[in-house]
Amino acid sequence: MSDQTKEAIDQINRLSRRSFLKAASGLAVAASLGTGLLGAANAFAAVPEGIKVMSASEYQVMHRLMQVTLVTQGTGLVPASEIPVMQTLDAALLATMEPHILEGLKGGIAYFNDGPRAEYGQPFVELSDTQAAAFCDTWADADEVPQRALAMGLKKLVGLAYWANPPTWTPLGYGGPVTEKWKLESLGNAPLPKS
Amino acid sequence: MQDTIKAKNVPARGLAVTQASDVTRDTLELNADAVIIGSGAGGAIAAYELAKAGKNVVVLEAGPYVPSEKFTEMMAVSMDTLYADHGGQANSAGDIAILQGACVGGSTVVNAALCFRTPDYYLERWGKEFGLTNLTPKVMRPYFEKVEANLGIAPNKAYETSAGAQLLKGGMQKLNLPEGNAHRNIRNCAMTGFCFAGCKSDRKQSMLVTYLPWAVAYGASIYADTRATQILAADGKASGVLAEIVDPQSKTVKCQLRVNAPIVVGAAGPVQMPLLLQKSNLNGNGQVGKNFACHPTLSVTGMFEENVDNFYGATHSLYMDKYTMPEDGGYLLLDAIQDPVEASFQAEPGTGKPYMSYMSKYRNSVRLITLIHDQNVGEVNWNNGAKEITYFVDDKDFQIMKAGLKTNARVLFAAGAKQLYIPTSQKLTIDSVDQIDAVIDSLDNEPARYRYTSFHPQGTCRMGADPDTTVVSPTGETHEVKNLYIVDASLLPTSIGYNPSETVYALAHYISDQINRAHG
Ligand SMILES: Cc1cc2nc3c(=O)[nH]c(=O)nc-3n(C[C@H](O)[C@H](O)[C@H](O)COP(=O)(O)OP(=O)(O)OC[C@H]3O[C@@H](n4cnc5c(N)ncnc54)[C@H](O)[C@@H]3O)c2cc1C
Repeated sequence: MSDQTKEAIDQINRLSRRSFLKAASGLAVAASLGTGLLGAANAFAAVPEGIKVMSASEYQVMHRLMQVTLVTQGTGLVPASEIPVMQTLDAALLATMEPHILEGLKGGIAYFNDGPRAEYGQPFVELSDTQAAAFCDTWADADEVPQRALAMGLKKLVGLAYWANPPTWTPLGYGGPVTEKWKLESLGNAPLPKS
Repeated sequence: MQDTIKAKNVPARGLAVTQASDVTRDTLELNADAVIIGSGAGGAIAAYELAKAGKNVVVLEAGPYVPSEKFTEMMAVSMDTLYADHGGQANSAGDIAILQGACVGGSTVVNAALCFRTPDYYLERWGKEFGLTNLTPKVMRPYFEKVEANLGIAPNKAYETSAGAQLLKGGMQKLNLPEGNAHRNIRNCAMTGFCFAGCKSDRKQSMLVTYLPWAVAYGASIYADTRATQILAADGKASGVLAEIVDPQSKTVKCQLRVNAPIVVGAAGPVQMPLLLQKSNLNGNGQVGKNFACHPTLSVTGMFEENVDNFYGATHSLYMDKYTMPEDGGYLLLDAIQDPVEASFQAEPGTGKPYMSYMSKYRNSVRLITLIHDQNVGEVNWNNGAKEITYFVDDKDFQIMKAGLKTNARVLFAAGAKQLYIPTSQKLTIDSVDQIDAVIDSLDNEPARYRYTSFHPQGTCRMGADPDTTVVSPTGETHEVKNLYIVDASLLPTSIGYNPSETVYALAHYISDQINRAHG
């Protein structure tokens, strides 16, 4: 591993000792969450009554990020406001996270919101659309590992929460599940081998 | 004894499994000849081979039993129900998603069914470097043949492809690169493209519809929702397993289970297996959890002018392995179709409009995966009660990845792509062939910079003759404890650069034979 890489990792560790990033694994999840939507089945079934996992301020950050990331104007895509993005994020992605991971992620959201203060004198939630998008791009290309991880990870969470909802697929021309549509018969269990 | 065992009929569908909902007692004690931890590639094969040889086998599986008809064919939901950590498992730096199945049947339920025999190169290298002179190509051949026959592993038929694979094949031909036709454990592929979400119509010959029902036909019992928490050993010999049966909804422990058995077979996979050994204080030489490798992959997305609609078809049907052996380069190219959820995080075209414009072109996109044979530089350990996978892409491996990405990019352009998206955290596209070298040469090996995915964790309990540097002996028994065997992907002494399921199937079969021989 190069010295630069080692230094970057040390940086993560130093940061994770500070209060705003208690668990680096929170970043880990944000950055690398596969396509997994925890409890996604439940989230699709019913629009939750309210946001239960995110605090009001975390909700504001993620909601603002959604507005900045999922810009549908001028495209045939379904506006994010018509999709339960925040509910999916809350009930499906955050609700069943391991507590230490969720704690790290919450720290990361707060850190991200505070990020623009140095350059813009304002938190993320108060930036204009142009400023907010530029801030996300700057952090994605930052030298600091946690900034890159958060810029990528938080956007990924918002994206997953949107694209996991089947109504978003129609404008893409994607048809979703097929087995029933194509009337495919199940082959069931394979017979016992002869030898 | 083997000849006298009569199998029951294999039911046409479904699997007899004891689940948390079936359990009414707080404690349960079972006696068996062998207890198997994990029901994936390794565990299922061992369950069948041991049960067929007349042993009373109990299989413990931490994940749920999800019958195929419940598969949703929606990636996000499938990740939630069938994958480890609901798809969120990652390395400690968070830049590699490490995917594994966590359900009855393990990763075989969600894998893409692509099968390769272990190259002779590795079998010979393991002989020289790890004293595994028993695993010669000649010894292993019948094991490969057997699992291939049992799982219907065969070359793809001409129609078993996808629109994207056809374009990529043309690209490979133009560049004079050999197009590899995948072998898969699939019968009558329906080309839904949903391998990663589980095969709803049971064409994929996963453990769920093959070795597990066959093991049950020979009397094995399977416990789902049941996480092994400790391997029991006394006087240097394995004696059983402690486990918890956990209600999948409330996550509360319903029942404490103890299985007394003179043979314990570990098949919890390369992340959980070392954690369980460490928790059981079975790490005398400190090697358990070390030497983790994972075949990191990066996907380059090519945008075509026309709609390619590369989302239904064979999940993988094409590969390019001209440079796969370490001397030749150490990387493999694989085609893969993708649903919108997967497409949504393969690139960082910029925030807002550029991202949504990229997604609007989903029908035009084709991705090609670069997978590398990596060094075993990682570790799996407990950290404050939580698992930690410490793995960073090695600098030398990163150079290999870059070489692979260059070939990947050339193939995509030769196939007709007009623009390529590199999966980096900053906006990075390649707009023409002559930009490939400059763009890829500029990439540095930095954490949280790339969108890596690993489908193949390996190592952590590596096999070898030296009890000081390896965990498992050449016959699959741990050096530390007698009658404790390991049969999963944690055995692999080095990463193998090819998709490893057939290697795991064959090794598990080989070790099961050793168990049956030693415990007739
Ligand atoms: C999405 C995906 C695609 C893949 N595609 C391919 C492919 O095309 N070709 C290929 O060759 N390989 C592929 N693989 C990899 C291949 O499936 C694995 O290498 C192989 O299944 C590993 O076998 P295993 O026995 O080590 O573990 P697994 O098959 O993962 O099984 C381990 C099982 O142990 C269970 N377990 C864990 N801890 C405990 C515990 N404490 N108690 C009880 N049970 C426990 C887990 O829930 C799991 O079910 C893919 C994997 C994934 C995830």
